[in-house]
Amino acid sequence: MKNVFSTYHPAINFCFFAAVLSVTIFLKHPVFVLITVTAAFVYAILLEKKATIRFSVPILFMIVLFTIINPLVNARGKTILFYTKYSRVTLEAAIYGCISGFGMAAVLLWFYCYNKTMTSDKFLFLFCKIMPSTAMIFSMVMRFVPNFYKQIHKISYAQKCIGQDISDGSKIEKIKHGMKILSILFTWALENSIDSADSMRARGYGSKQRSTFSIYRFDTRDVFAAVFLVVLIIVVWIKVLLGKCSIVFYPTIVMHELDMVLCIAYSCFCYFPVMLELKERIAWKFLQSKI
Amino acid sequence: MEIFTVENLTFTYPNRNFPALNNLNFSIATGEFVVICGQSGSGKSTLLKNMKPILTPKGVKIGQILYYGKKIEDKKIGYVFQNPDNQIVTEKVWQELAFGLENMGLETKMIRLKVAEMASFFGIQNWFEKEVNHLSGGQKQLLNLASIMVMQPDVLLLDEPTSQLDPIAAADFLEAVKKINREIGTTVIITEHRLEHVFSMADKVIVLEKGSILCCNTPSAVATVLAQKNHPMFFAMPAPLQAYTALSQQKIGSHLKCPMDIREGKNWLTEVLKEKKLVKTELPETITFKKDVVLKMKEVWFKYDRQGKDIVKDLSLEVYQGELFCLMGGNGTGKTTTLNLAAGLKKPYRGSIKTKGKWAMLPQNPQNLFVEKTVKEDLSAEKYSIKEIVELVKIESLLEMHPYDLSGGEQQRVALAKVLLLEPDILYLDEPTKCLDNEFKIKLGNLLKELTAKGMTIFMVSHDVEFCGRYADRCAMFFDGKIVAIDTPRQFFSGNNFYTTAANRMARHIFKNAICVEEIVELVKENYRISDDTPPKQKEAKNEAKELLKTSSKKTLFFCKSVFFY
Repeated sequence: MKNVFSTYHPAINFCFFAAVLSVTIFLKHPVFVLITVTAAFVYAILLEKKATIRFSVPILFMIVLFTIINPLVNARGKTILFYTKYSRVTLEAAIYGCISGFGMAAVLLWFYCYNKTMTSDKFLFLFCKIMPSTAMIFSMVMRFVPNFYKQIHKISYAQKCIGQDISDGSKIEKIKHGMKILSILFTWALENSIDSADSMRARGYGSKQRSTFSIYRFDTRDVFAAVFLVVLIIVVWIKVLLGKCSIVFYPTIVMHELDMVLCIAYSCFCYFPVMLELKERIAWKFLQSKI
Repeated sequence: MEIFTVENLTFTYPNRNFPALNNLNFSIATGEFVVICGQSGSGKSTLLKNMKPILTPKGVKIGQILYYGKKIEDKKIGYVFQNPDNQIVTEKVWQELAFGLENMGLETKMIRLKVAEMASFFGIQNWFEKEVNHLSGGQKQLLNLASIMVMQPDVLLLDEPTSQLDPIAAADFLEAVKKINREIGTTVIITEHRLEHVFSMADKVIVLEKGSILCCNTPSAVATVLAQKNHPMFFAMPAPLQAYTALSQQKIGSHLKCPMDIREGKNWLTEVLKEKKLVKTELPETITFKKDVVLKMKEVWFKYDRQGKDIVKDLSLEVYQGELFCLMGGNGTGKTTTLNLAAGLKKPYRGSIKTKGKWAMLPQNPQNLFVEKTVKEDLSAEKYSIKEIVELVKIESLLEMHPYDLSGGEQQRVALAKVLLLEPDILYLDEPTKCLDNEFKIKLGNLLKELTAKGMTIFMVSHDVEFCGRYADRCAMFFDGKIVAIDTPRQFFSGNNFYTTAANRMARHIFKNAICVEEIVELVKENYRISDDTPPKQKEAKNEAKELLKTSSKKTLFFCKSVFFY
């Protein structure tokens, strides 16, 4: 499915994710953790429903794990729940673990969304101006890796045809077959790189200073989005640096009272891609019903 | 105006005693469509690479190639390679299209325009933003062509561009090349071993043999020369042309225009036989006897994952001992899957498969079989005595070479040797004629016949209709997960309208079941002889004999059918 946010300029995509991740890592206040984790989750669901649900099972497990492990290894905190043989288990430590777990989940989900939105060619586009040849190599590697993987399967299949795959024979034979497959894989890679080099030279690579082409354009929509996001992030950072969402866990949990401006600004920021997506969907419905 | 003038060109690779190109002299006019053909190792690629200085291999070059009377400029010459995968550099289609222009240092606006133009010209816009890895082989090669054409070369050099493509993709690709030649006026120089398509497009054909020019002329003139010399390349030409030239030598139909395609061939044949009374229009059916069943598939179903669609549906099939069985069908219909099922590499989720004896399989890309540094080591890994097999597939001269340095046809034979060393009772072949030139195809066909005569059963999957028609004992057509028709080649092809050999399509309105050119030639000659020479009485006798033959052939036919549908 096409996602609306990914149709924005790669610079916007990249900066958004960089900003949201940096804030997510810093903030430990439960309300703000909740905002970021739900935003990431909803966005991921909008991008890909099935995969996200499948993906969220291990994430939930991770959150539970954090909640259990932190109080076991960390004895700080005033409210004692119970004693084990080696230490005491405190409520504060458990809550800290839980919140850290949610924070971690948010980071993972944001990375998941990042991967779906920032394809490698966008990343390349952003960085090819700074380091053109590195970007070129990066692009070739990006193509090479799946090819390499495909080729292993092809060779393995061919060897299976004559009964010499890694699944055939005794254990020692299996290892031998595996080694042979790997060795021929490298021969293949070297052989083919000669062809690629020829093809590059035939198209004039290295004869002049390369220019870079892209299909992306920074349009008015991008300008608005940029201004909107920059204003929000400045508000958020100022408030954060002023300590409007500070929290202390030990020995007892002390939170700064909730700052509504920060709360709204942060929500708007995190939910930006989701808002775009929903706006577009609603707009479409509206358009269609009009027609 | 001559775009290329080749003067006394001799080229020798380092450490070789004989030149790869020997004293070539020819010229190519602007806007011409030139086909360079010749057998493997005749110097086609070397010649092409000499026309693009940056790709010219190291070696001693005498003589010169002039481009409009001057030194060749690399920029003006586009080059498309054989392997669709290896020449792609970047990850996305649009990146690839822009790659050459970026190298030229053009600005974004300019690149955008040129890329858009080319994408529209080739109809690439639908997969413009796709990843290259998700394209089919034909699309990849079309992308390669387009990404050369964006640079607006004056000359397009193509080095066997269709050898890795299936027939339909190959035909599409060549149509695109033709379009470039006709609509943009780009000079095209192409090397090919499948001549059926390019021959009718060509203005000029250059035949190379052992680095020298055998002939350089219009297609029909070249055909005559090749026919006179009984050259192996002759059998790679379009069927109508072959029939025409073969019969012209007997002074039959030579006063007419040389037919280049099926339509012209059909009219030509009608014209040739217009005033003759047709006596013999059918060939006797080859008789096959039912033998032991070595492979039996019964109501087999297969799919790759639970929710996926069925690749093989309700397939039932019997293969007899010692026969060459060909399974034909389009791309992606599940032929290879069927082969894997038969070999037991994949398991059906319903139905049963029974096989007798040892099996071995030759996969589609034989290169993946090789794991050693020389052919000899690679083969010796299987067995100590490889002499017999080496002689059988005729690869004595290749033993010391690296498997990756061999040509497509040579690789195929070495791979076949490697598979045969396993001494299988059933041999599975997946597209064995892919990448083979015609000479190798004939050799392969004869070799397969030899093997079946020894009692080996061969189950082959292919879309090479001509090859199957000529060599198979039985053919089957695979469509939508099952076999829709199965019969001896003669019955099979005379029953099909489109999916049949070129010779059959050309002659089916007169000769019902002729499937190769030699048979047409033979039938035409026979009819000429009968209607010219035979006195009436004898004719009657002949007719009677023919009648007898017909009934007997019908009987065999009935017998065969009852056997197959048993």
